[in-house]
This record gives sequence, structure tokens and C-alpha cells, in this order.
Amino acid sequence: MNHKRGFPAFITAFVFIFFFEFVWHGMLMKSLYMETALLWREQPMFPWLILGQAVIAFAFTGFYVSKIGVNCPATGAGYGLVIGILCAGGDLIRFSVQPLTTKILWMWIAGGLIEFAVAGAIVGAIYKPLSSSTA
Amino acid sequence: MKRFITAFLAAFIFTFFWGWLLNGVLLKDVYAQTPGLWRSQSEMMSLFHWIIIGQALVILAFVMIYASGFAGGGVVAGIRLGIMLEIAAIGMRLAMYAVQPFPGKLILYGSTAGVIEMIVTGAIVGAIYKPAVRHM
Repeated sequence: MNHKRGFPAFITAFVFIFFFEFVWHGMLMKSLYMETALLWREQPMFPWLILGQAVIAFAFTGFYVSKIGVNCPATGAGYGLVIGILCAGGDLIRFSVQPLTTKILWMWIAGGLIEFAVAGAIVGAIYKPLSSSTA
Repeated sequence: MKRFITAFLAAFIFTFFWGWLLNGVLLKDVYAQTPGLWRSQSEMMSLFHWIIIGQALVILAFVMIYASGFAGGGVVAGIRLGIMLEIAAIGMRLAMYAVQPFPGKLILYGSTAGVIEMIVTGAIVGAIYKPAVRHM
């Protein structure tokens, strides 16, 4: 494991996830959330939101670094897509038990696939395994 | 492929019954504290196939990840994968808690149960799935 490359990969993935979710959920999906206002807090609890995003970025990057560990954006994007599929399963379950609209469901699934594929490409582009970085 | 399908089915059956026990029985009273956040029982039943498809997608992705990076490591590798994925799931629950008025204990109980679920799922997949042996 190359921690010198893993840490910047984690920070960059976290920053990307933060801004992507701000644009996707806070701007693009704002009107959809307004239609189901009773399901949401009036104001997000930002410390918990940021902590949650940091934990996601940490686990996402840590998993790539420890188990895949190649310097390749395409491999990272593929890894991110599989994680996006896993999240899509969770979104379907949430849709089944919470009174969400189908538009919200499809936007969550699309957003998750894009978000994790791009985050994976970023991590794959930044991370280099120890042997190739010291060569 | 046979091992892949068997691991998938075994983990899926466990997840299905664990989900029912946890959400349908153990946490029933906690969900009842926030009725406005949930569909009615009849609505949920009419969308039940989406729960099945959702659980199947989660387990399919789990077994795919195990088969591509953990295969051969057995039960320990499966448990390690389960814990890694659950850490990400806890992050998602925290983000959910930030935007939806869930009781805090629902996140706490859900995360504790999630750790158990993913450890057992990992152990099942790790015990069943074996990489194909290549003959020379």
C-alpha cells in the first residue's frame, strides 16, 4: 500500500463526493425533494452529512487501495460502477419502504452510478502502487 | 459459476430472512415512532418485488466483488469484505440521518445490525465461493 498516494486520493474523492452531492441533490433534485417535503429535515445536519461523506470516501478509497491498487482510471471507474450497482439495490429497497417518487428513485440510481464511477476514475488516476511509484 | 450462483443464493436467503427479522420484528416499534416516513403495510406489500430485486442487486455486487478480489481467502476474506462494505454503508446512514428526521437510535441499531449482517454474509460467501481451478 502506498499511503503517500492513498491519502490524496481519499481527499480528492471526498471533495468530489461533497461537490457532486451538493449539485445533484442540492440543486438538480431540489424540486423533487420539495414535492415530498415531509420526508426531509428543513435544514440538513451538516456535521453528520460531512462525516458521512468522509466515511464513504474513506471506505471507497481504502477498499480500492487495499484490494485493487492499480494506477488506472478505467479500472477505478469499473470498481465504482459495481459499488454504484450495490447502492442501486439499497435505493430500490428504500423506495419500497418510504413514500418516495419514482423520479427520486431514478435520479438516485443515476446519481449513484455517475458519482461512484467518476470517484473511482479519480482514485484510479491518483493512486499508484508502491512498486511503480518508486521505480 | 456453480459456486458463484450457490454463494449468491445462500447469501440472498440469509439477507432476506435477516431483513425480515430486523425490520419486520425487532425494529417494528422504532419504525412506529415515525409513521409519516414510511409507506403503509399494503403499499409496501405491493412494492415487495422491488425489495427482493434490491436485495438481490446488493448480494450480486457483493459476490462479484468477492469473486474478483477476495476469492481463495475463504471465510476470513469474506468477513473482511463485509466489514469494508459496511463501513461505507454506515457513512451512507449518517448522510441519510443528516437529511431525514429518523430517530438516532434507528441509525445506531441499523448500523449494529448491518455489521452483523455483512459479517455473516461475508462468511457465507467466503465459505461457499471458490475460484475455478485451472488444469494444466
